[in-house]
Amino acid sequence: MPRTIKPIAHPDLWLATLARYLRSWWYMIHLGAIAVVTALSPSTWRRDSFRATARHIHTSTWQVLSWFALASSLVSLVIIRIVLVTAKSYGLSGFALEMVVRVLVLELIPLSAALFVALRAGMAFDASALGLARAGLAPRAASNEALRRLRRDLVPQLIANAIAVLSLAMVTSIVVLVLAYVNVYGLSIWGLQDYTRTVGRVFAPSVTAGFVIKTVLFGLAVALIPTAAILELQRYPRRLASTVQPGALRLLFVLIVIEAASLTLKYI
Amino acid sequence: MDDNTKNPMTEPLPDEPKHVEVKAAILLVLIGVLVAAFVLYVMYARGVFEPTQRLTLVADDSSGVIPGMDMTFAGFPIGRVAQVELGDDAKVNIAVDVQSKDAKWLRTSSVFTLESSIVGETRLRAYTGVLTDPPLAPNSTRTVLRGDATAEIPRIVATARALLENLETMTASESDINASLANLSAVTGRMSGRYGVLGGALGGDAEAQKLMEALDRVNALLGKADQRVFGKAGVMDDTQAAVRQLDVVLKDASNTLKKVDAVLVEAQAVGANTRAATEDLGALRGEVDASLRKVNRLVEEINRKWPFARAPQEIKLP
Repeated sequence: MPRTIKPIAHPDLWLATLARYLRSWWYMIHLGAIAVVTALSPSTWRRDSFRATARHIHTSTWQVLSWFALASSLVSLVIIRIVLVTAKSYGLSGFALEMVVRVLVLELIPLSAALFVALRAGMAFDASALGLARAGLAPRAASNEALRRLRRDLVPQLIANAIAVLSLAMVTSIVVLVLAYVNVYGLSIWGLQDYTRTVGRVFAPSVTAGFVIKTVLFGLAVALIPTAAILELQRYPRRLASTVQPGALRLLFVLIVIEAASLTLKYI
Repeated sequence: MDDNTKNPMTEPLPDEPKHVEVKAAILLVLIGVLVAAFVLYVMYARGVFEPTQRLTLVADDSSGVIPGMDMTFAGFPIGRVAQVELGDDAKVNIAVDVQSKDAKWLRTSSVFTLESSIVGETRLRAYTGVLTDPPLAPNSTRTVLRGDATAEIPRIVATARALLENLETMTASESDINASLANLSAVTGRMSGRYGVLGGALGGDAEAQKLMEALDRVNALLGKADQRVFGKAGVMDDTQAAVRQLDVVLKDASNTLKKVDAVLVEAQAVGANTRAATEDLGALRGEVDASLRKVNRLVEEINRKWPFARAPQEIKLP
């Protein structure tokens, strides 16, 4: 199959292209299921296995947590000020706090955490995997290699990335909640009860569940999609056609779908 | 999985940072604690740990009422809407969980209102007028009064339109008000003339001048009249003399009248005697009549017995 001709120009190849596309998605989902099952099995959390997971957690979370929290707090501070000042100018300051919590904590911070982790993890994986992909192993050998990597790298990495998204989102959310409080009420404890009620109103059970599920799904997508794309590349090395990082577009697509679905369920 | 003796997973890499596992464990514990704390905080904020009592509010319309919204008393949130359902009687039942520590503010005479404003959320409020009334029992049912600012808008707009049309009619160039104002302007213009209000009222300075002249003449006339009437040898002096004479005449007349009175008394007595006399006169007449008849008979006897022929002469009786 010459790579220079796009499949769209060959109607007889449409079916094959569709099948390949679906197989690729299925491969990713299958891999994800295996990874989740492995992550939930006790053997992964034994001391010897935990070491690899710990290494990944250290790389993906420990090293970046403070910087990410600081950077997103600064950005959040700007957004909080903008929202408060705008709301005040319209005489709607009573709704500013709720809006800040909804926009920042529920939507922007999880998404930015997921994108940040995806960028970082994807780059890290890409560098180590491309060499293998270019070696052009036979399909059978590639499959074995995939399984080995799955045990050694993928599951710890998946856990680490999921934890990274959860940690970054959680820590930054809490920092932002504190920042929002200080911005609205100043350094006084007397607004605490009012603030708590506002937070309670925003975090209805369904919203809280949606927030947690969305964050976990973000973590899974970020951990899984680039890895699956690279492993697939090992099986079909000739598909290394583009200079775009494998799986990046798919990851972006999935993140947008998750976010859109969450918004739809929450507000429609 | 190969059973290799040197497991790559446990083998530390050369460039591995120190205490990786401890750091990862700390991080995991920290995140776990954070998540747990956050969930507990949200549960606390949702009022999961507060003891509450249920209050059911009955409304006609549930629009704007969402589970989780606050019910306030004097601006302080004292309860949360737990559930909104449409009852069998087509009324909306709003179940409110009132915190037990704040339930004391609700009394049997409390009033509940549901207010929607044009901007912002619907508000559920409680008002208690008499705080000495018995407290509201748990699981009570109360009717909620609905005050909807937006529902009033069509009526307000209709009224405002009618008002504006009236205003337009009133302010049109040929309107009554404009004509009145023009007249008023003419009148006030005249009023600002030489004769002021008088000129305005009479329709011009010329008329006002005539009136002034007439007034002057009347004044002069009054002066003269005053002199003639109340002056020396005026009408009043003559009148006084006449009155004095009249007084004397009246006294004489009074005496005369007294005399007349006496005469009348006399006349009355005479009248009484006369009446008695006329009563006797009847009997007298009877006797006279009888005497006459006797005389008559006597004459006729004489005429028959008298030897003389009948003379033509007759005895004439008076």
